[in-house]
Amino acid sequence: MEKELDKVVEEIMSTPNVSGCLVADHQGLCLAAKGTAHVDSAGIIVAISEQACKIQPNLKPPTVCLETEKKQCLIQRHGTITGAIYKDKA
Amino acid sequence: MEKIPDQIGYLVLTEDGAVLESGGELENDERVATIITDLITLSNKVDPLAFGPNEQFKKISITYDDHWFAICLSNKKIYVVKRSINPHLAEGNTVNV
Repeated sequence: MEKELDKVVEEIMSTPNVSGCLVADHQGLCLAAKGTAHVDSAGIIVAISEQACKIQPNLKPPTVCLETEKKQCLIQRHGTITGAIYKDKA
Repeated sequence: MEKIPDQIGYLVLTEDGAVLESGGELENDERVATIITDLITLSNKVDPLAFGPNEQFKKISITYDDHWFAICLSNKKIYVVKRSINPHLAEGNTVNV
């Protein structure tokens, strides 16, 4: 059943500079996690995307980007599904 | 803050979310101020494995289709800037799906 999702996750992981990938549902339950992304952070990631949606609830969900010196975490919500991509800065 | 190119609103907050300065579309916008302080509190808890304990986030951006919010922390204050996205400049970077 999750073959399609696994394929997408694999595809994301094969992109240059991507170190981790996580997909979660609207309840914060992890659907897939690969690389440096930890299953436990699914809840927090969904909470962050929900929080960001509150700024302008009438617009479509925004992309949230969290940046450190060396890494980046991109969070995007699509319908009930939230995806996060962890990237190393080139 | 007013001099930032493409700026359409800004907020300067204390760490607990009180508005110190504001302007443009975000003038006295305490609703956005609360949402952003909560967002920062949440972001501190993200993945201690992928991001080491000493690796604090230095910038958060929230991107919509035609504008984005840049959030930075400096000198115990939270700086938020709402900036418009110039479609002519962004064109080269957009990915059409």
